[in-house]
Amino acid sequence: MSSRRRNLLILLLFSGLLIASALVVITRPTQLGLDLQGGIELTLQGRPTPQVQEVTGEDMDRAVDLIRAGCDSLGVAEIEVSRLGQDQISVGIPGARSLGKATECATTPARLFFYDWQNNLVGPARELDTRLNFGAQPDREIRKKQRDKWNEAGRPSTQGFNRQLIEEGAEPTVWDAVQIAKKEGRQDRCPECAAGDKYYLFTDDDKHELLSGPVVDRADLYFDSDGAPIPEEGTVVQKVPQGTAVVAELPTDPATGRTIDDPDQAGYFVIKDRAELTGSEIKDPNQETDPVTNQPNVTFKFSGGGRDAFQEITRRIAQEGQARALGAVDSNQASGLSGNFAIVLDNQVVSRPIINFVDNPDGIDGRTGAQITGGFTIGEAQNLAQFLQRGALPIELVLTSQSQVSATLGQEALDQSVRALGAGLILVVFFLLIFYRFLGVVASAALISYGLIFLALVKLIPITLTLPGIAGLVLTIGVAADSNIVIFERIKEELRAGRPVGKAISIGYRRGISTIIDANVVTLLTAFILFLLATSGIKGFAFTLGVGTLTSLLTAVVFTQALLGSISNTEFMRSGKALGNVKGKPPRMFDFTGKAKWVFAASGIVLLIGGGALALKGLNFGIDFESGTKIEFALEKPATTEEVRSTVSGFGLGSAAIQEVKNQALGENVFQIQSETLRPDQVEEVQAALEKDLGLATDKAATTGADEAFNSVSVGPTFGASVVRSAVLAMIFSLLLISAYLAVRFQPKYIVPVLIAISHDILIALGVYALLGFEVSSATVAAFLTILGYSLYDTIIVFDRIRENQEKMPRATYSQIVNQSTSEVVTRSLATSFSTLVPVVALLVFGGETLSAFAIAILVGVSSGVYSSLFIASPVLALWKEREPTFRRRRRQQIEIQGHSPAFAHEIEAAKVEDGSDASAGEASDAKSGTTEGRG
Amino acid sequence: MAALVWVTVGIALWHFTILVPDRFWQGIVGAFLGSVVGAVVSGALFQVILGRSLGEADFLTLLTPIPGFLLGVWVVYRIGSRQEDAAASAKGAAEEA
Repeated sequence: MSSRRRNLLILLLFSGLLIASALVVITRPTQLGLDLQGGIELTLQGRPTPQVQEVTGEDMDRAVDLIRAGCDSLGVAEIEVSRLGQDQISVGIPGARSLGKATECATTPARLFFYDWQNNLVGPARELDTRLNFGAQPDREIRKKQRDKWNEAGRPSTQGFNRQLIEEGAEPTVWDAVQIAKKEGRQDRCPECAAGDKYYLFTDDDKHELLSGPVVDRADLYFDSDGAPIPEEGTVVQKVPQGTAVVAELPTDPATGRTIDDPDQAGYFVIKDRAELTGSEIKDPNQETDPVTNQPNVTFKFSGGGRDAFQEITRRIAQEGQARALGAVDSNQASGLSGNFAIVLDNQVVSRPIINFVDNPDGIDGRTGAQITGGFTIGEAQNLAQFLQRGALPIELVLTSQSQVSATLGQEALDQSVRALGAGLILVVFFLLIFYRFLGVVASAALISYGLIFLALVKLIPITLTLPGIAGLVLTIGVAADSNIVIFERIKEELRAGRPVGKAISIGYRRGISTIIDANVVTLLTAFILFLLATSGIKGFAFTLGVGTLTSLLTAVVFTQALLGSISNTEFMRSGKALGNVKGKPPRMFDFTGKAKWVFAASGIVLLIGGGALALKGLNFGIDFESGTKIEFALEKPATTEEVRSTVSGFGLGSAAIQEVKNQALGENVFQIQSETLRPDQVEEVQAALEKDLGLATDKAATTGADEAFNSVSVGPTFGASVVRSAVLAMIFSLLLISAYLAVRFQPKYIVPVLIAISHDILIALGVYALLGFEVSSATVAAFLTILGYSLYDTIIVFDRIRENQEKMPRATYSQIVNQSTSEVVTRSLATSFSTLVPVVALLVFGGETLSAFAIAILVGVSSGVYSSLFIASPVLALWKEREPTFRRRRRQQIEIQGHSPAFAHEIEAAKVEDGSDASAGEASDAKSGTTEGRG
Repeated sequence: MAALVWVTVGIALWHFTILVPDRFWQGIVGAFLGSVVGAVVSGALFQVILGRSLGEADFLTLLTPIPGFLLGVWVVYRIGSRQEDAAASAKGAAEEA
């Protein structure tokens, strides 16, 4: 296939990709993180218990499953649960507002309860239960009413398994069950209840479809399972009082004895919420095989208190069954009269075994444990055993941090981020057009394509967009532009050397790709390590950075090469005007190593100032590191600090730091309270007190009308330590991996200057933080790790050219090689840093408080990274390598011949060098014209 | 925080070693090692002697790494210059022979 055809084919495929991306962008929703849409974020830490001496990965995975199941069943919107490092779990509940309930669902084991079934039935199910009717057929009128109800609900009484559920007395819909349950009286004191008052949200029409619920906080009703807000209009709320519960039960296939695993086939029962046993009272649940029937069953044991309770409940059920029997009965007859106990997991009946009073007249002895049989397949039995294990999680989950972001603040952050992104993209495009003219048009097309494909990937994967994630995206705009800049500078070099346009493009891409791959591999390694080790917010940043880097390779390399390749034979391109008419213009040379001492001295002074700031002012560690609680809220009316203090003093906050602050997102009359770490219930109490005494302002972005302008963050003492630990680990592993890569791709000696440049950049950024008093948060850690990645990226671009020139300048000293190389790449470095800094400045200007702090760290780090790669890393490498015998000899020879060693290779008196041969003449003239012959 | 200050001061002062003739053991990289190790050891020693915690930092923290830096750089310079002198002597002897 000719190259023109290949290029056109690539362009065709790329156009298809762009159209598909546009469709995805238009049709798919964007998944927003908690910081952008409001909600609750919790960090939990697994702790050993007397039964479990060490928390294992398996324990943590089980805890993740348990939390997901526990919070899903509470209907607290879409829950994001993920493991963080060895022993932590991050729980994000978008849209949720009730901190106490969210914490409860995340920290309380899955709700597993054992009920005495018959004695707790309420409504028609009680009337229709044959056991309660002493085996007699129940009232025909009640049965008919139930059948009619099922038919009206669109579930024909003659179809499928509906008949079975009707005979049991089940209700056809949640709505029907709730109508019965809500009439029951509230039981105010109910220690045995599984939950308090429960709320359900239904459509306000004839169908009464369940929209959300049950939830224990009414405000949590207005979010669907994807976390999207549900408008209040056209809905109706129903409340089931404490003491009564609605549970779902799936029918059993009479032919196989197996449960029908289809939620649409469920029936609903109303029961009195009087649990006899909870999941915390069982242990060691296992799937086994019944030795008598050879059928799969589930066995488990009871903990101390559970053993007696189990014996008691089964004895009572057996005795009640015995009382229903008239005269002597055999085991088969007894099973029709014996009662059941129900195992209910998160409002779903998972098993309802019969306690046969003939077989177990004194109940079941809990000492040897118990078994559940029910015609299970092995898989079903294993699932049930797993459910029971979840309920009996052996480790303790401790809340280490919690944050509550109001919808307004999230919306404001999202708007600011979008503005920063848009401004960053426009400014970079503008810069590329001015600097590269026609090539700038190509690069801009690549950049816009990059934006489109990246956004499509964000929606398709989907990537949850967070504030640090958007910061990562802004940064990748610079990286994407850089890939083009590296190649364009290469093309220009080839043109300067007199190559025809087509050849220059082809060689420029071939050589540029090697550099780009090296630099991007390092960025990807940093992103990978960050993703593995960092905390949740930083994970989003790392993922965005990684995906962005890969996408930029596609758009900046594949697309632009095909585009330029396909038009390289046109008159416009051949004239050279499109590429800036650079033919014959030599690169500007600068003596980087010669001027190093002045630059080093300047760096030393800057670092001393930074060291002074660190010693005298220190770093302003935020709540992430220092632990405590920070609450920000807006009041309806102006108030004094003393009024606020007086309101909250009853909650141990009399000596807390309280101040009036400016927060445009929250509105007017905004106050901030900083105190020792408060528990979620304490935060809720403070919120309630502020609302009662001073009146909290309503959240402008609230969809339910009940949301208040109230944000809180609580961090326990272990959270900061774990953030630091994960950051240090990420840094060490990144450096180890990158060092290994450098050793393989370059030389082991290249590692040291790279590490010196990194420490230089990090310390300067830290010094600036100390000097200006910026708060150091976990996002700052991400920023510093980005500086590490960027500093490496930039240094590698320079070192790649040094490595290349080293091979083709066999008589030059190392300083001359470094001067030649850095001069060749200095335009690229400046253009790249500019194109990276422009979006970062946009982030600083438009990014709001959170992103601004992040942007400042990046701004300082990126500037320092460019500077250190040219003025620190390269001279250090030159000075170190100059000590090698080869380069010492070259220098000596030059001094012997010319009386000095010149700064640049083209100043070597070529004809006189060494044996007087003309061997280096070609090298010198090449260096002069800036040709980049050598490694491809 | 104190350790961060010592490292920063050590690296800051290392930048000025470029003004000294490069006779350090392993050149500028050897000077870097001498500067940082010297600064950290010296800072830590003073901190322990003064009975301060490792997190404590003030103006004194800024000064305590300086003696260690000077000593570290001097040691690296001495080793380097001795090696160079020895190599030069060996080369001279070889040429004479």
